Amino acid sequence: MDYILDVQDIHTFIGQYHILQGVSVRVPRGSITALLGRNGAGKTTTLKSILGLTPPRQGKIMFEGNEIQGMLSFNIASLGIGFVPENRSIFRDLSVEENLKIAERKKGDYAGKKGFIFTLFPDLKRLINLSGINLSGGQQQMLAIARALVADNCLLLIDEPSEGLAPVLIEQLMKAIQQLSAYSTVVLVEQNFLVASQLAEYYVIIEEGRSVKEGKMKDLTNDKATIQHYLGAA
Amino acid sequence: MKLSAYFRKNLTLIIVLAVLSGLFIAAANGMESKDFVITLLRGLSVGSLTFLVASGFSLIFGLLDVLNLAHGTLFMIGAYIGWTVYVRPDTLVDLLTPLALLLSGFMLGDVWIALSNRILFGKRLKRILPWVGIFISALILFSVLKQYPIAIWKVANYAQSPVSISYLASQGQNILMPPVDMAGFSPLLGFAGLIAGSLLLAFCLAVMKAGKQAATICITWRNFSGFVVLLLAGILFFVFNNALTDFLANLNSNWLFLVAVLVAVASGIGLGALMETTLIRPLYIRPIYQLMLTLGLSAIGIEVVRAIWGRPEFTMPRPELFAGTGEGCPATSLADWWQYHCSTMLVMDGRIRVFNEILIPVIGIIVLVAVWMLLQRSRLGMVIRAGVQDREMVEALGINVRRVFTLVFALGVGLAALGGVLAAPSIGLSNLMGESFLLNALIALAIGGLTSYPGAALGSLLVGLLQQFIIKYGQIGIPIPFMDVIFKPSPPIVPASTILLMVIILLILPNGLLGKKE
Amino acid sequence: MANHKPFFALKPDRGMLIALLVFILLPFVIGLFDGASPAQVWMNGSGQSKFIQGLAIEIFILALYALSYDLIFGFTGLLSFGHSMFFAVGAYLTGILLKNFGFSLAATFGMIFVASILQALLFGMVLPRVKGITFALVTLGMASVFHVLVLSTELGKFTGSDVGLQGVVVPDFISPATERLRLYFITLTILVVVFMLYKRFVNSTTGRVCTAIRENEGRALMLGYNTFYFKLAALMLSSLTAALAGMMHSIYQPIVSPNVAGLGFTVTALLIILIGGVGTLNGAIIGAVAYRLLDYGLRRYIGESASFINGAVYVLIVLFLPFGIVGTWRMKSLQINQGWKRLLGMFTNSQDKSDGA
Ligand SMILES: Nc1ncnc2c1ncn2[C@@H]1O[C@H](COP(=O)(O)OP(=O)(O)OP(=O)(O)O)[C@@H](O)[C@H]1O
Ligand SMILES: [Mg+2]
Repeated sequence: MDYILDVQDIHTFIGQYHILQGVSVRVPRGSITALLGRNGAGKTTTLKSILGLTPPRQGKIMFEGNEIQGMLSFNIASLGIGFVPENRSIFRDLSVEENLKIAERKKGDYAGKKGFIFTLFPDLKRLINLSGINLSGGQQQMLAIARALVADNCLLLIDEPSEGLAPVLIEQLMKAIQQLSAYSTVVLVEQNFLVASQLAEYYVIIEEGRSVKEGKMKDLTNDKATIQHYLGAA
Repeated sequence: MKLSAYFRKNLTLIIVLAVLSGLFIAAANGMESKDFVITLLRGLSVGSLTFLVASGFSLIFGLLDVLNLAHGTLFMIGAYIGWTVYVRPDTLVDLLTPLALLLSGFMLGDVWIALSNRILFGKRLKRILPWVGIFISALILFSVLKQYPIAIWKVANYAQSPVSISYLASQGQNILMPPVDMAGFSPLLGFAGLIAGSLLLAFCLAVMKAGKQAATICITWRNFSGFVVLLLAGILFFVFNNALTDFLANLNSNWLFLVAVLVAVASGIGLGALMETTLIRPLYIRPIYQLMLTLGLSAIGIEVVRAIWGRPEFTMPRPELFAGTGEGCPATSLADWWQYHCSTMLVMDGRIRVFNEILIPVIGIIVLVAVWMLLQRSRLGMVIRAGVQDREMVEALGINVRRVFTLVFALGVGLAALGGVLAAPSIGLSNLMGESFLLNALIALAIGGLTSYPGAALGSLLVGLLQQFIIKYGQIGIPIPFMDVIFKPSPPIVPASTILLMVIILLILPNGLLGKKE
Repeated sequence: MANHKPFFALKPDRGMLIALLVFILLPFVIGLFDGASPAQVWMNGSGQSKFIQGLAIEIFILALYALSYDLIFGFTGLLSFGHSMFFAVGAYLTGILLKNFGFSLAATFGMIFVASILQALLFGMVLPRVKGITFALVTLGMASVFHVLVLSTELGKFTGSDVGLQGVVVPDFISPATERLRLYFITLTILVVVFMLYKRFVNSTTGRVCTAIRENEGRALMLGYNTFYFKLAALMLSSLTAALAGMMHSIYQPIVSPNVAGLGFTVTALLIILIGGVGTLNGAIIGAVAYRLLDYGLRRYIGESASFINGAVYVLIVLFLPFGIVGTWRMKSLQINQGWKRLLGMFTNSQDKSDGA
């Protein structure tokens, strides 16, 4: 299979804590792959390790066939990886438009993608001059995803998009993610198994800093025992 | 509706501001209007200088999380460099050649990276070799620079010390040192040594960092252009040394002052960039140790200044535009001043110094607006504002935050150097001027809000005004109501007053007047 | 601000015991070099030994002072820029009470105890309102006000304003001039007692909560600790120690310079624990030794440009001893230990294999 991203047995330390103790994730091109696991399993750390924000000490990360571990974060990101962090990290002092513009990697990115972004998230158009501090949680999430779409990213790392959102909003968001996955590969961290199972094609389960199981989502949804065992909920 | 909500939210701030304005009005009422105007302008002047230090400090603290305790020292270095350019252009010109040659090697940055990526050393060799190279290049540079001819004053010899040079210059006699003896120095050998040392040093530093850069860099002739330009510049400066010296020495003092300002700011920017890339950068993960580093650098800076310029205080003569005392002076209006170039001007019967009390505040305001525009309108400003809040996210967007860090650090130090060179003709040069302005700036920032740019301006203004008003009241005394005593604040009260204001404001508004609530 | 690792030496510290032994023998050994027998030293007869004793007393006082700073900064994570006030209050109060009011030493100590509790409360009062660097600035403000008070001419009768406090009559039995050796051992004893007390404190529950506050105050709060009281406790202990150091300073030094109330003296404490290693306790003592000797040596042998070298040394320490002397040493020793273990492990493993085969 053609993997756009291939994480091979990475070990990551934060301070002196050995957080990731062997995580491997393979992401087929064009798919949505879900990272599943309990709270504190190391899903966020995996995403950050891919981006070099918490650089792994051991292991290999291949992106588009090139080794990227050890490179500086901004260099990794400029290879075409978009990041939607857990806490959204909207820039409070910047307006919505500036929040989008800052993600430009070359001039005209924003102008080019504007149309696409506003069809995905029509609400943002109305809010364009509001400053980030005044956005609601759902609006922040949309903006965070939109920001990752401004530059030409062929891989999106999305961390818990549904966290803390109302069911209606989650539905809207799922639709958006479904739509944008036509253009780029998505790695999705998701606590809400229902959401993950509807969106993702593949899954990887992380448990206590190790990747313990991977496969097709279809198979997992039928495997109630595994779900119960690793994720604690049916 | 929205307005009332705003009022309710910022009630404390509004009350504090109201109390401050009340105090200000009371202070104004207590003195004659002539005294008031003078004090106000003096406060603006001190406030502007404080702001130049504080704004850079706060940008650096906001984005990089570095409390740059060497900022005051860099302010002072700016002043001394400005003085040198203004009073001793010959020294500057002599320095240009070695400086250009020294930097030339570093212009080949990309070439070195490519080269060091291509040459594969063993791991052990890779750790040792650069140090050996650095040692050798240091040796070469040291031996060349030691005998490089530079016309400079002698601190130990009073007749040639900055103090007497300054005095002579203020009398209108700019005596240049005779060109240095060239005997015993072969230009070719010297140049070769400088260039070789610079190339070796730059290469070794590149080897040390090798492997962290993005994959491949293709080398074209463009990568060599900077090197060649600096090389040529160095040689041209050498050949036309005397012509250039004469040109600068005979330049109108207003233009020379402008040159001094530009050179001081440029050296501030250069020093800042150098400091950030070499010393501060390894310490982002150990923030406390930055305090120690910047303290150490500050001590070093002060000692270097003492070694080069000596301990005694001296002043920098004002440019001719602000130095006139003859016919038509003191001026009664700005037009008058423009015509007669007066050093002082009458405002409401009070005498003010044009340079100190008008030019400096004006420059302060110009810088305030310019940096504000930079922050609000440019992409760099956008990245800075975003980075102040969340560096990691900015980096995750593919933006080279480190380069922005270097830029901001350099910009901040440049602003401090600008403050220094402006302070030199107004308050004079001393080894300790940096410390007091750093303290002022810290207080101003605490009052205004540590990472808020408008806060830096407001805080500096308050600090300047408060200090000057207290000083003035120290002269005229404050009548205490219902009593016959007149209270005259003594000198130590001046710094204490601003600190007290800071404590009170921080206790009411822990984030300062305009700081963001966390 | 806390990136260093929380190390705790739970075992009795062998290094420190050796250091104690060295300090006990030091005056006599130096005396021998000077040609004075231990008995002569005992009678305060050797000039050289006396001089070294003086230097050591200064080091002990600095170490006490640095320890107190390490407690609030290194362990509890409170960055205070007003720490010199803790010390200066002790020094000035001792001087003034002994000189102007004729207090006895014990009574003076009682007053210092009260004063140090009061000033800790003063600093503590602002704790709920201001955090981090703002706390540093507020404490700087309070200390500066005290500094100005000390310098003011109005109080010159007591404090000696900018000349400094002098003419303190110290009870004969600890006079630094005639009974220096006794003073030396008294100071050393105080240091040892305080050091052990601190060790107990940081390993007690209270101390651990303090460390937790430094690491993550929110978490400590969530665990149900009222962090305010813990911070206050640390501040009080620290204030008391610093005031005690100030008291010894006032007894030892002929003049108490107003500089000890200034920001510079707080920076001294910060530098000492940075040199030694933040949050290590041992570091405060080793840092004090290094700091004072460096300062003394440079001033003596280099003179004028001493502070240049001083600054350069700080920069070098930052670059090459990234966690201070003690911190870096412990990290390296961990690595060395690991290296040994790995080596041993290889050895035993191969033995196992050969056994198995
Ligand atoms: N800065 C840090 N210092 C110490 N430990 C950390 C740090 N950041 C994360 N950890 C630990 O690393 C582990 C993995 O964290 P991570 O955020 O990757 O989990 P996660 O799977 O994303 O969990 P969640 O579903 O709650 O987001 C957790 O046990 C966490 O406590
Ligand atoms: Mg997470």
